[in-house]
Amino acid sequence: MSRRSYSRHIPDFRLVTYYGESARSAVHGVNPWTKAALLVIVVLFVIILMDLELLLALFALTLAFYFAGRLPMALLIGWYSLPVLFVLTLTIMFMFTEPGNPLVSFTVLDTRIALTDNGVMLFIKLLLRALIVVTFSLGVLMTTKYSHIASMASGVLPRPLANIFLLSYRFTFETSDEISDVLDAMHARNGDLVKGVSKQTRLFAGIFGLAFVHAFERAERIAKAMEARGFTGQFPTAERLPGPTYAGYGAITLAAAVLAVATYSRYFSGTIGWW
Amino acid sequence: MAHIHLEDGAFTIFWVLVWTLIAAGLLSIPLYRLGGVRIPTRKLAIAAMCVAVGFAIFQVEVPVLGGVHINLTPLMGILIGPSLGSLAVLVINMFSAAVGHGGWGMIGANTIVNLIEVLIGYYAYRFMRTSLKAGRFSSGFWTTSLALTISAVAVVGIVTASEIQDSEQTRAQTFSNMLVIAAANIVTGVVEGFVTGYIVGFIGKVRPDLLEDAEGVGREAESTTTGAATDV
Repeated sequence: MSRRSYSRHIPDFRLVTYYGESARSAVHGVNPWTKAALLVIVVLFVIILMDLELLLALFALTLAFYFAGRLPMALLIGWYSLPVLFVLTLTIMFMFTEPGNPLVSFTVLDTRIALTDNGVMLFIKLLLRALIVVTFSLGVLMTTKYSHIASMASGVLPRPLANIFLLSYRFTFETSDEISDVLDAMHARNGDLVKGVSKQTRLFAGIFGLAFVHAFERAERIAKAMEARGFTGQFPTAERLPGPTYAGYGAITLAAAVLAVATYSRYFSGTIGWW
Repeated sequence: MAHIHLEDGAFTIFWVLVWTLIAAGLLSIPLYRLGGVRIPTRKLAIAAMCVAVGFAIFQVEVPVLGGVHINLTPLMGILIGPSLGSLAVLVINMFSAAVGHGGWGMIGANTIVNLIEVLIGYYAYRFMRTSLKAGRFSSGFWTTSLALTISAVAVVGIVTASEIQDSEQTRAQTFSNMLVIAAANIVTGVVEGFVTGYIVGFIGKVRPDLLEDAEGVGREAESTTTGAATDV
């Protein structure tokens, strides 16, 4: 499977879907409802857990899940760039203004700026939380067939939302290619985004405007084709998705129980985090 | 543009629930409006294509001040209207969360921010075109700049009210830290305003029918023939 994306830092939906369809590991065989429920629980865990050690343990578990799916680690590390950039962007100011013991300090324009231990810890924890969720989220996406995602979306989301979700998921591949073409063309002419945005706004607008117009014309052709095939306002689900297995229910119950203990500990007793 | 680039775990569960419930409440209005009618297939396909293009553009980071991006949400409001536009930004945020561009728990907060952009984008553009009779470029530019400035302020408000978990900073300190990001977002918003102005002008030349709803053309025509108005 060849890769085509804007850069190696952004997950390529086509590749993600390819891995989802490949059914190459035991994780691919896990019921999608089970994986979705576990994703919700993982998100709740990163919100509830405050201890660095527990967050590290959870990160190790999510990496094990991703690894068990026989998914490419090198790609994942490249895809970490986006959340790392976001966390760094936001916490950089907090790292230097967080109360705590100064680790490094310097003076800029008569103002003393210090990097504190609490500031560094804030960055590390936010980064860990981001990586935990991204790893598990991509792990779930890359081990779940499109037809199963479509079935879940149809079952959970209100119809107008489900229709937009399902149709736009299909369109995403083509529009990603189109934007990649635009960026390739820009890079081929020695352009870059900073120069492009500040000095070539009109050019950018023409490119994006054309992309929108092309997209709309394609959408109109697709709409006509859909109507010609008897589209009635609802996408039929190609595959009926069964509920979780007993083992799946067991895993969800176990994870939810641990989450309940962690929640109780954080808000009511403080038994976890004694170190 | 404005988008809360915080991942899961940055806000406490209380604030995640607060923003999610507010977003759900706001989204219930377009869902209610669209729930009882069959969305025309053409509108549905165009909205879905807007999501796909918007999501693709969303991921292109401009390496300024640690990473900002344009997302053309006000343009989406202009092109597909407030109801479908509201659902479109929710779907974009869901896709983005799936690839680590903002957390799953941030979908509510980010949807509120993007709803502001879509709604102001549509109604301000409509007002400028129909009441002020402004040109397409200036309408696109001013409405987008206004929408993105207000949404940047909303981002500051949301993060300041929620505070960052693990941080010992007061709300006042969080507010001053967020101002730098707001400034970057507002500057990008003005650039996006120019881009949107040109795009609207370009679309107005090659496919003016796509702007009919936001410019009140379709509605005027409908009201003269049927006396009824539809806004999907």
